[in-house]
Order: sequence, then C-alpha cells, then structure tokens
Amino acid sequence: MTKQHPAWSPYDNNGGTCVAIAGADYCVTAADTRMSTGYSILSRDYSKIIKLADKCVMASSGFQADVKALQKLLAARHLIYQHQHNKQMSCPAMGQLLSNTLYYKRFFPYYSFNVLGGLDNEGKGCVYTYDAVGSYERVGYSSQGSGSTLIMPFLDNQLKSPSPLLLPAQDAVTPLSEAEAVDLVKTCFASATERDIYTGDKLEIVVLNKDGIHREYMELRKD
Amino acid sequence: MVGKNCFAIASDRRLGVQLQTIATDFQRISKIHDRLFIGLSGLATDSQTLYQRLVFRHKLYQLREERDMKPETFASLVSALLYEKRFGPYFCQPVIAGLSDEDKPFICTMDSIGAKELAKDFVVAGTAGESLYGACEAMFKPDMEPDELFETVSQALLSSVDRDCLSGWGGHVYIV
Amino acid sequence: MPILLLPSTNFKFFPPKLKCVDMKLDTSGLESTSPFFGSGDELCPELSAAPSFSLPLSTDFDEFQKDTKATLKHAKGTTTLAFIFKEGVMVAADSRASMGGYISSQSVKKIIEINPYMLGTMAGGAADCQFWHRNLGIKCRLHELANKRRISVTGASKLLANILYSYRGMGLSVGTMIAGWDETGPGLYYVDSEGGRLKGTRFSVGSGSPYAYGVLDSGYKFDMSVEEAAELARRAIYHATFRDAASGGVASVYYVGPNGWKKLSGDDVGELHYHYYPVTPSTVEQEMAEVAGA
Repeated sequence: MTKQHPAWSPYDNNGGTCVAIAGADYCVTAADTRMSTGYSILSRDYSKIIKLADKCVMASSGFQADVKALQKLLAARHLIYQHQHNKQMSCPAMGQLLSNTLYYKRFFPYYSFNVLGGLDNEGKGCVYTYDAVGSYERVGYSSQGSGSTLIMPFLDNQLKSPSPLLLPAQDAVTPLSEAEAVDLVKTCFASATERDIYTGDKLEIVVLNKDGIHREYMELRKD
Repeated sequence: MVGKNCFAIASDRRLGVQLQTIATDFQRISKIHDRLFIGLSGLATDSQTLYQRLVFRHKLYQLREERDMKPETFASLVSALLYEKRFGPYFCQPVIAGLSDEDKPFICTMDSIGAKELAKDFVVAGTAGESLYGACEAMFKPDMEPDELFETVSQALLSSVDRDCLSGWGGHVYIV
Repeated sequence: MPILLLPSTNFKFFPPKLKCVDMKLDTSGLESTSPFFGSGDELCPELSAAPSFSLPLSTDFDEFQKDTKATLKHAKGTTTLAFIFKEGVMVAADSRASMGGYISSQSVKKIIEINPYMLGTMAGGAADCQFWHRNLGIKCRLHELANKRRISVTGASKLLANILYSYRGMGLSVGTMIAGWDETGPGLYYVDSEGGRLKGTRFSVGSGSPYAYGVLDSGYKFDMSVEEAAELARRAIYHATFRDAASGGVASVYYVGPNGWKKLSGDDVGELHYHYYPVTPSTVEQEMAEVAGA
C-alpha cells in the first residue's frame, strides 16, 4: 500500500532549551525565548515558562501547540484542585500530575520536553525532569530541549552531586548560592547559543524562593 | 584545543561495536612527528588503515624534503586522502593538531570525506561531539598556559563522555 | 492522514488493522482514585471524569506508532537481575537511562518499591514501567484493603501481565521482574509487554543481560548467605555495565526477606571498577606512536 500523504506529520519541532537548578532554599528555572521551525524563526519573544502554582513553574520545549495544550490542561486541573482542596498544589503533586497527564497520551504523545521547578513542602528547591511520555525523576538540576546535550555536560561538571541511589547515602545539595546559580544559568545559555541554532534571542530566568517569584531577562545572540 | 604556544589533544579509551565494549584501553591518538598529532574517531579498521597510509606518505615526504611536514600541509594531505574515497569513504572523523615551527598551534577537524574545518579555539569529533561542544564552549579561555589547558581539556572530556554511552573508560590527554 | 483527538473518554475506537473487537482494555487503573466533589462534571467532563488514553484517529495505527516512536526516543538500555536463593530474593539493577547514544540520566531508580514486601524492576520504556508499576502499587494496596491480607507475588504479577497483555501490539515496551515475599515464601516472576509471564529462580533483563547472566550463572548456587548473594548480584551488574555501553551509573542491590525488602548497597560502578581491579602502579604508559601503527 502506498502512503497518500507521505510527508505529513502531526508534529513540528519548535526548538528551545530549558534549564532548572534546585538549591537549598531556591529554584532557578530558565529558558530561551526563541521559537523556530526548521531554519526560520517564528518569534524572538515567546515565553516558554509558565507558573502552574504559587511554588511551581514549568519550562517546556518541543512542539508549541502540544505545549500550549498541556499548559491549558494543567492549569484547568490545578483550578479544579484549588476548588476541591482550597489550597495551591504542591510541587511534588504537580510533578506526579504532569507525569500522569503525559502518560495518558502514551499512544499519541505530547511532543514536549518539560522541566518542572519549584519548592517542596519543606521549602527546599526541587526539579523534576520528564521525557515526552511521562517518565520522571526528581533531580538537583536538569536541562531539556534542543540545547540540552550541550548544556548537560557543563552542568554535570559544575554541579555534579553524589547519586541519590548511593548507599551509604551522601549529602547531595547543590553548593551554589542563588546569585551563583543565576550566573551559571546565564553562562550555559550563552555557550549553548553559540552552537545551537534553535536557542537564542533572549533568556528568561524565573527564580523561586521563600520571598516569592521574580523574573529577569538577559539578551542572547540573535543570529 | 589551543593554548598559548601550545595545544592539547585528548580522546577517550573505549573501543566498542555498537553497545558492546571490546576494549577499554584503545589508542585513538597517534603521533605523526614530535609536534604533530592526529586523533581518529570512527570505525577502527578505517582509522588504522588511514593512519598507516598517512605515516607512509609522511615518511616519503621526510625522505624527499628532509624535514617534517607542517601541520597545514599535513591537514591538506589527510583531506586529499579522504576525498580520494569520496564515494566509499573511510568511516572516520579526524582531528589534527600540530605546532608550527614558530610554536604557533594549529588545529583542524574534517568530516569523513575531507572537508576541512579550521578553528582558532577548539575542534571536536566523534560520538560525544555535541556534548563536547557544549563543555568546551563554556570552559574555553583564550591563551591558556599548558597546566591550565590540561585541566580544562580533561574536565571537558570527562564531563562529556559521562553523557555519552559510546565513549568512556578514561582518556588520553597530550599537551604539546 | 487526518489525526484527531478522540473526544470520548472511553476506549471505543480501534484501528481497523487490529482485529480485536472483543478485546476489552483494562482501564480501571486509570480511574481517579480520589472522589470528585462539586459540580465540575457538567462544566468540564473531560477533566473530571476518569482520564483515559487518547488515541490518534489514524487509519494506520501501527505506522503512526512507528513514526512517533522514531521522533520521541524513549529511555532504554538497562541491566536488571533477580534471583531466589536460600534466604530470599536478591534484586539488583544499574541506573542509566539513554536516548540513542546520549545518556539522559545516571540516577534512575530502576528498582521500584511496590510495597514493603514487593519490588519491581524496570527495563524498556521508562515511562511505561514507571506508570504501570505505580498503577500496580495502587491495585495491590486496594487488594490488601479488600481482602485484609497482602497480595501474593503470583497475584500481583498476574495483574500486571493481564494489563500488559491487553495492550499487546500497541507499542508498550516493558520487561520487568516482580520479586517479593508472600505467604508461600519468596516469589519471582518475569513479565513483559508481549504478554509473557514466567515463574523462575533466576532472571536478568535488559541490554546488558547476556553479560549479567554470564556472571550470575557461573556464580549461582542456592545455598548462599545474604552477603554472598549480594556480592554476586553486585558483581553481575558491574560486569554488565563494563561491557554494555547502555548500562552504567550506580549498581543498587536489594534483598527481600521474610520481613520485607531492604536496600543493601548502592555503589558507583566507576568506583567498583577500582574495587574489583585495583590500579597497579607499575603499568607503563604505552608508546603512543607504535600502538595504532602496529
């Protein structure tokens, strides 16, 4: 049987890179703001980070239509949760919800690569990293998206902490202060932008700590 | 990677067929002469054949000219040899690093059919290439002294191969 | 090839290629376990009702799965093993997740703690294993509450096998071992996404399993102390990570005895290498020019 639409696919890749770093009492989540398709840039100022709950943000790259659908679904689920329980969802709960939401589309996946950053119930920074169909893991730092292969080795080098699976367990807190973590994120995006065509334009950094949430921006290469 | 009047060339030590590890002390970097090295990643048999042909051509050159080849010349030689096999290429990606007579470092990489890519800072090749680009891009500083260069190259190599299944088991680093 | 979301929340759609009209898919595990209050039902039925898998409305489901699989490389590459011995069951695994050549994580928890007396291992698609083990955990707990006693390993593995069998041919990728201790003593089953379910005393699953079997089979005997068995398991995992590029990270070893499971060790395989093969300082660096030219 010959295919009638051999080249058509329901998916596109809009690129983009996300990074999240968890610290003792803060969490830094960052993503570039470029949205592209193939070799062309669709937008230079498209935010990939959304706030899901008071202490939980999600940065997503991949196919923006799927990402948008996912964001809306999570927002709706969170609204229902608030009506039912009269409180904000915690970051670990949101982590599990996101995993399930992704897995329910196991046979027609959301083409999105997410990192979830936030503060857990004890106020410690937490980062959850996902694949497209919902396998997830709590980590100290993570990177997803088109530039992740460039950024991850550098983060490993700077932040490598003992594996949580080791027995006897070893202390695994990211040794950086909040300001250092923000600087580190800026450095790794500056270098990823040099080599990844899907990353660039502007860097959006969201910092979560006990005082709340604040955003900052840094310009990146635009070529 | 280039430093101040010096260069470093490094590789991992794993030899494998797909996921299966064959040897963990493989030599990927070979010496052409005291100031010129070549690293060949890719199919081992092709790397070895290519290396032998290069050594042969270099020896002929030495006999005829009574001097060592300049790195630039050598790069052109590699490129020419690779392009000879344009339609049935050697499956390997060379990295060439050498020091000219004036101690000026020269580095270059090429694809498997000999398209040269010269760079002033660093070049990478192989299965962990993308990871290496990320690590080197973030760690490289111009005009490093040999000690610092060694540290940088080693750190970049180690952190990259730790993210690549097909590389690993330590590394060789040469500082010239 | 128009591909749409099915608005229905039930599995009513089957691709024409799969001729399984009477096959009933078990979606009970997907139902929300918390009761739903309020009148949200009328407003947003899709959100409040038990969510289920949405399927692409494609004429060729198999082809679609193949395409999506190619675009979304799932985490794969593993060594896991488990064996029964005198004192109970020993379970061990590495911790690497890879996508093609790229290592996406070195700290995956491949031994999943279903309940204090039962462990599952994961090999294959990380999401498939994580999700269905979590789902199995829920079912086991419900069984416990309904019957006032713990589920047997046989029963638990059968639950999982039945689910996986109902999804057969749809592209799930799971290779798991269910190990535990129940009223009949130690139990060990191998269950996979093709619907297979085997009872046995010695299994290894994953890309590194041939290497692990080599060590395991040569060193295995029923009469072993817990320490001996743990060392055998750790060694088998280490040797598999040595040869298999897709395995690595941390070798975790769990023991399931009459009083439930316990984690015995977790060692970075890089350090295990030096533990098993201490560096002898006398090794002379090889002459670099000669090796490749020899």
